[in-house]
Amino acid sequence: MGHHKIRHGHWPSCSPAPVQAVGDTKVVSKVAVVGADFPQLRPTLKVSLQDQVAAGQVLFTDRKHPQIAHVSPVAGTVVDIEYGPRRTLSAFVIERDPNEVLVHETAPIDDNTEASIRRTLLDRGMWPAFRTRPFGRTPTPESKPVAIFVTATQKTASAPDPHVVLEGRLPAFDKGVAVLTELTEGTVHVCQSKEEPLCQAADRVNVVVFSGTAAAGLPSTHVDRLYPVQSGGQVWTIGYQDVAAIGHLFQTGQYSADRVVSITGAMAKAPKLVRTTLGASLSDVLAGEFAPNARPVFLSGDALTGVEASFLGRFHDQITLNERPAAPAERARRTRFNSISRALIPKTALERALAPRILPVPFMRALSVGDSEAARRLGCLALVEEDLAVLSRLCTSGADYGVLLRHVLDDLMEDAA
Amino acid sequence: MRSAVYLTSSVSGVTVAQVMALVPTSIVAALVDPVRYPALLVAALLTAVFWDAIFAYLRKRNAGFHGITTALIVTVLVPADLALWQLVLTLSLGVILGELIFGGRGFGFLGPAVVAVSLLVFSFPEVQLANGSQALALATLPGALLLFFFGLVSWRVILGTFVGVFALAALSGESVDVVAITTILAFSLIFLICDPTAAAVTNPGRWLHGLLAGGLIVLFSGGSDMTTEAIVFAALTASIFAPLIDHLIILLHARRWRNAHA
Repeated sequence: MGHHKIRHGHWPSCSPAPVQAVGDTKVVSKVAVVGADFPQLRPTLKVSLQDQVAAGQVLFTDRKHPQIAHVSPVAGTVVDIEYGPRRTLSAFVIERDPNEVLVHETAPIDDNTEASIRRTLLDRGMWPAFRTRPFGRTPTPESKPVAIFVTATQKTASAPDPHVVLEGRLPAFDKGVAVLTELTEGTVHVCQSKEEPLCQAADRVNVVVFSGTAAAGLPSTHVDRLYPVQSGGQVWTIGYQDVAAIGHLFQTGQYSADRVVSITGAMAKAPKLVRTTLGASLSDVLAGEFAPNARPVFLSGDALTGVEASFLGRFHDQITLNERPAAPAERARRTRFNSISRALIPKTALERALAPRILPVPFMRALSVGDSEAARRLGCLALVEEDLAVLSRLCTSGADYGVLLRHVLDDLMEDAA
Repeated sequence: MRSAVYLTSSVSGVTVAQVMALVPTSIVAALVDPVRYPALLVAALLTAVFWDAIFAYLRKRNAGFHGITTALIVTVLVPADLALWQLVLTLSLGVILGELIFGGRGFGFLGPAVVAVSLLVFSFPEVQLANGSQALALATLPGALLLFFFGLVSWRVILGTFVGVFALAALSGESVDVVAITTILAFSLIFLICDPTAAAVTNPGRWLHGLLAGGLIVLFSGGSDMTTEAIVFAALTASIFAPLIDHLIILLHARRWRNAHA
């Protein structure tokens, strides 16, 4: 078992650590598939407004890749379909049916051939759980990764501990990892924070421990240490709860939209872990989790990279309750003082902000002028937005490097296509 | 610690930190010549702030006050008997050519103070720069620690410079007096050579930048007695080469991907 100690990429966590035990199940009234998790996805609808849908029923497919299905996490009624610019998906909202009965086929699914596994993952809505590296997007149905990274690390101290979440679900997780090995000819790397292995190391299953700074939990760090993608090739990353869901799907034939999330943040009454559903409505999950007269901001994700949202993000396992930021007038005053210059002063702290082996200041300069060729040479293919949140906080320029990186990656993706 | 991060996450915060670091050295310079120094300081501050304001007005931006640090550095380095018009002229050129034509602090690749003092020495060969004294070196120390805490000087550049100086001095068979060298070098090293916007910006590049600056100091001094002029020219030359050094480091760094999976 490999062990990587990460020295760079430290950022102090300002959210309190939750009690690491899965507490109550939060039943929500609404769930949504949110377009922000799949940018530029244009849906072909398979159901229409006010239709009754079952849990795991296909809601829509990707217009570019009709094989990729997105399914409903719960049984209920389609109440809202919102579009963004250019008919991209904005949100697909389902009101949960309170008298939901579990009518599922309950036979194991054939997992003998790679083709049948791919078809099952595509048809049953598990495909969008994968993301490619480079680019951090849903892989195309035909693509073959050279390695798959299971992110089973605890991202921050305020995130759920995978060992606690997977308690009792280890057989499903094991099964999920076995299924993943069929999708690649390379290795499936299971990256975790604690020593105790989550699954058996096998011929093509590599259990690796990443410890150290906050960046030890990020998939970019794992990819950088184990299979740097700058030299070509595509790897996939997937979260541990999705791997357990894949295992569950192949063992029982049932789609599982269970998600254990931590509720943390300065305004959280009692930071803890709760079990809820993919895409759960945050106001339902958080009812009673903050003081009655408080008006916190709901962030899907951690305090550093989270975004203000109404529904739980597809790839998030944390909900942060933060204080509402300063009123616009005060913010404007503060910015006027700070935005005298948008220059980048190369402080030495920037050198320690990224765990992947990248020269930060030249890289940030390439991003700020949008030079995608230079950014590629400097290793931008290894990164996605979440990795650069620390740089945006530290840098004097006040630029959002995550957004700049996405522009550059979009450029490079177009060139590659 | 978090407020420290917050302070230096804006350009004005960086300027505030640098001004704080320069206060003790300015006090030492004022004590050396309490009559002339205030006049020089006022002239330098007015000049630097004037050009900052003019460029901000022409570019329709909010004025920065970064010129203050340039003025504070330059007034410590110039001799006390310098004519005011010479100071105003060279400082104007230094601020404009070193910084403002590039778009201001952080957009150029030279330190405005280095450019100003170099121009002074080029244009007026009779001017002798003030040599570093023990008091000045001691007064540099708290500022150096402060800037180090904020990550605005790199220990790699500092160490590289010392290694460069000692290595070349030892090679040329000169006797090496560590205390004397440190005394003369301290102020210029921290505020000219280590200027974060003029130094190299990659970690290996910072080593090379320091080594180059240190070697050039000995070379330009032409003997065992280091002069402030030599240090200033070495700082200027090293910062001109810093982007090239960084570029070479970037090329070397990019080679690693080529045979990553061989």
